[in-house]
Amino acid sequence: MLGKLTLSAIPLDQPVPLVAGAVVALIVLGVIAWVVIAGHLPYLWREWITSVDHKRIGAMYCILALVMLIRGFSDAILMRSQHAVAYKAGGYLPPEHYDQIFSAHGVIMIFFGAMPFMIGLMNFAVPLQLGVRDVAFPTLNSVSFWLTASGALLVNVSLVVGEFARTGWWPAPPLSEVTYSPGVGVDYYLWAIQISGVGTLLSGVNLVTTILKMRAPGMSYLRMPMFCWTALASNLLIIAAFPILTATLAMLILDRYLGFHFFTDSHGGNSMMFMNLFWAWGHPEVYILALPAYGVFSEVISTFSGKPLFAYRSMVMATMAIFILSFMVWLHHFFTMGPGGDVNGVFAITSMIIAVPTGVKIFDWLFTMYGGRVRLTTAMLWSLGFMVTFVVGGATGVLLAIPPADFVLHNSMFLVAHFHNVMVSAVLFGAFAGYTYWFPKAFGFRLDEWWGKAAFWFGITGFVIVFGCFYWLGLLGMTRRMQHYDVADWRPWILISAFGVVVMFVGLVCQVVQLVVSIRRRDSLRDVTGDPWDGRSLEWATASPPPVFNFAALPEVHGEEAYWAIKSRAREQMRLREEPAYEPIEMPLNSPTGFICAFFSTLIGFAMIWYIWWLAAAGFLGAFVTFVVFAWRDTVEYEIPASEVAKVNRANRSTRLEALHGAGQRRAA
Amino acid sequence: MSGAASPASVTVLRGDPYHLGHSRDGHGESRATGRGTGGPSPKRIIVAYGFWIFILSDIVMFASFFASYAVLQGGVSDGPTGPEIFDLSRIAIETALLLLSSFTCGMASLALSARRMLLFQTAMAVTFCLGAGFVALEAMEFYDLIQRNAGPSRSAFLSSFFTLVGCHGLHVSIGLLWLLTMMAQVLAKGFRSDIVRRTLCFALFWHALDIVWVGVFSVVYLMGSIT
Amino acid sequence: MSHADHADAEGLDRHQTEVAPGEEFAEEDIGKGIRGYLIGLALAALLTVCSFAIVHAKFVWAPAVPVAVIVFAIAQMGVHLVFFLHITTGPDNINNVMALAFGVLFVVLLIGGSVWIMSNMNSNMMPAMPPSSSPQSSQPSMPMIQPMRH
Repeated sequence: MLGKLTLSAIPLDQPVPLVAGAVVALIVLGVIAWVVIAGHLPYLWREWITSVDHKRIGAMYCILALVMLIRGFSDAILMRSQHAVAYKAGGYLPPEHYDQIFSAHGVIMIFFGAMPFMIGLMNFAVPLQLGVRDVAFPTLNSVSFWLTASGALLVNVSLVVGEFARTGWWPAPPLSEVTYSPGVGVDYYLWAIQISGVGTLLSGVNLVTTILKMRAPGMSYLRMPMFCWTALASNLLIIAAFPILTATLAMLILDRYLGFHFFTDSHGGNSMMFMNLFWAWGHPEVYILALPAYGVFSEVISTFSGKPLFAYRSMVMATMAIFILSFMVWLHHFFTMGPGGDVNGVFAITSMIIAVPTGVKIFDWLFTMYGGRVRLTTAMLWSLGFMVTFVVGGATGVLLAIPPADFVLHNSMFLVAHFHNVMVSAVLFGAFAGYTYWFPKAFGFRLDEWWGKAAFWFGITGFVIVFGCFYWLGLLGMTRRMQHYDVADWRPWILISAFGVVVMFVGLVCQVVQLVVSIRRRDSLRDVTGDPWDGRSLEWATASPPPVFNFAALPEVHGEEAYWAIKSRAREQMRLREEPAYEPIEMPLNSPTGFICAFFSTLIGFAMIWYIWWLAAAGFLGAFVTFVVFAWRDTVEYEIPASEVAKVNRANRSTRLEALHGAGQRRAA
Repeated sequence: MSGAASPASVTVLRGDPYHLGHSRDGHGESRATGRGTGGPSPKRIIVAYGFWIFILSDIVMFASFFASYAVLQGGVSDGPTGPEIFDLSRIAIETALLLLSSFTCGMASLALSARRMLLFQTAMAVTFCLGAGFVALEAMEFYDLIQRNAGPSRSAFLSSFFTLVGCHGLHVSIGLLWLLTMMAQVLAKGFRSDIVRRTLCFALFWHALDIVWVGVFSVVYLMGSIT
Repeated sequence: MSHADHADAEGLDRHQTEVAPGEEFAEEDIGKGIRGYLIGLALAALLTVCSFAIVHAKFVWAPAVPVAVIVFAIAQMGVHLVFFLHITTGPDNINNVMALAFGVLFVVLLIGGSVWIMSNMNSNMMPAMPPSSSPQSSQPSMPMIQPMRH
């Protein structure tokens, strides 16, 4: 009846995961109880859970990502503290638990921290920057988000029911085959990633269609803001790469569940084929994460330098070059696995070539700042920190792209340092830059700058300490994924890196405090005009937070930097654009489809993990019925009357007019 | 909620030309070219293009299975080889069924454009029968192989064969389910523009599956039968 | 679909707008549409028959057979794209064709790259164990792969 699931699945004998799981469960239950008792449930259901508004969904993606980043960071703290005490000793984490922790750390950070953060920012900002009302398929967008959340839920359930994979963040066979990993850990990994992978793929389809087919009148491709270009490249990569991951994990599932022989190394199977396919997804994935972050930096640097982006077209070319090249380098993840010199050589060269367009980008950002009036806000600090540290990560990447060097350094802490260096400085710094930059647009008030800057300085200092030590440890010969060690030379560097994690933790605390302080002081941080940073693209042309329909009338675009042109004209003429003729606007109705689908997919995933076949069948049936019920709807949108549109838009126009005259008077004085 | 919408009610232009959602009457068609002038494209373009992109991602998934098959087809271990298990006459019948179903699916699309209910339902029903025949033949092939101890767990070659061909068969089966749903929707709600869009997406899906099948029978069965 | 009615009503012709993938061209009457599908069906059937026939043909140089099968397959995919999916090279189809081109590029990279990489790795493997070794051995019991035949 319940498959493999028994009471023994709850790890009563292991205090660390049990206590951690209990604390998390208590917090989650507490939040749910508070929501229900305080009567917020109807509001949450109406305005967030069933919302198909791209701004709400984008915000929910970012909230999920922030929570999961904290979860992943707590794994990092466990690993650093284990190393701090595991010198010639076992430490406090037994090997089978330590293995789960580094696996969970990688999975959570990549799939449920970095991915949702980037997708959330794209979801929020791209339709606004394109000057349209929503993404192409609003309900599908909600489905995507909830499927991602479903995957995240499954990974976290593994904390208290059963176990997580001990194979590392890519489940390398034959270790991940059922012979060597008979438990449910790898199954948790597989089903969580399959479910969230479907969500990611659908979100990629959605955003590509939005960017290619829905833009404000006059916005040709070469007038799109840089962030839209990088979002286009990133989502095209999602469409091209995620099906490979789905197929590869499906093969591993068939190996594990039905005794197939894709990767078993017996009966003609070949475990190296897994590596090949996995990294054919895995390397594009790096750019799926990094490209939107490059877009954020482009927006932030241009805005806070008060200048248009330098060499916009070369930046577009560089983005698209990275998009194509990223699909031609995947072998550099397994140089040492046995391909000959010719194959290694070709992939080494393509890997090094990627540094060229990336270098173009760095120079474009530098020249954007050159001669500009640079404002060192929090978002700008993250961007500067990125440029300094990312160059180091890129240089070590070029070093690792040389096969002979890779033969020495592969699987060492040097490699760990390299990919954390590029991932943290590009993706995480980019995420925080975007978070600080677009927060006032999403919620109507700015984040506190003092705490933001404190978070930046602690964060980057701790980051440099931790991964500087890792580079050195790698050169001293330390390999990755060691549960304990007894080399005296490593000891001081490991202790320093543990100190670095403490510094990063302080940065994290500052980040949380920043949010709390900003919410409490929101009245003094209020963004009344909708343009708090003197921005240049269309998202700043509407109110903060934007009305549900984004724009009362779609803006006409006549060149690059659409909003800057509108604003400059307004400043010259000391008056706003002509008021548009208001017309009623049709918007899609809210729908619980996404939430219900995710509910059923969580059931399917959980049932498959524990071999509860009837529950899985019921879940599939439920999901199909949900789709048909959704497809059977007759009323799918509602109309916002012209008077309502006029009221909302006039309110924003009056604050903008006030600001315009205020600025004019200051200039006159 | 009218049944079959008359052309006059479909051409009504009104209100917001940039509306979202799956409005049923197709009003608000914009004049966008999709190249920056005119604003967002009309809904029918957006839906079909989005589905087109999804199909391309599906093709990449098939490509992964093709790649596995290409790499693992030599891994026969102690099991049978391709020429020993492939029955080309059955494959020829399957191919004919699927090709004809693609044709009748095209007839259904034409009937949809012309708003001819009887022709549409007939063509869809014929498509369903042909597709179901294809799935049945493939299921028989799989059953026979498993009976002859040539199931997917025998060797890596058979694993990749069953997965590639089975994935295509699974797609066709899902397509059949979708086909029935669309027949029911058109019958119940008439040629409403959102349902027309969906049915055109189904046609895209069906034709794309036939293209994948061309790859399957060429690479797996025909090239695998050459000794 | 009556978009052409719109287009006529709006005084636009199709070539100034864009076309959805797979869309029927509504200015054609249904007879013309059927004719298009019939041509597609005939061509596809012809190519399929050629493919099946050539496998057993004795008069063809054996190494050319796989090449011929591949050529027929690609031609038939083209026929399906043109006659069933209505993909054209017209200006209204640019986005559809571009997306298809990217898809084909990635499919070629993935399949070609995988076959190349894996055959290279296999040829660098140690010689296979004799078949008498234990079946549980983690070494594959045969040279794993013949080079791909196309």
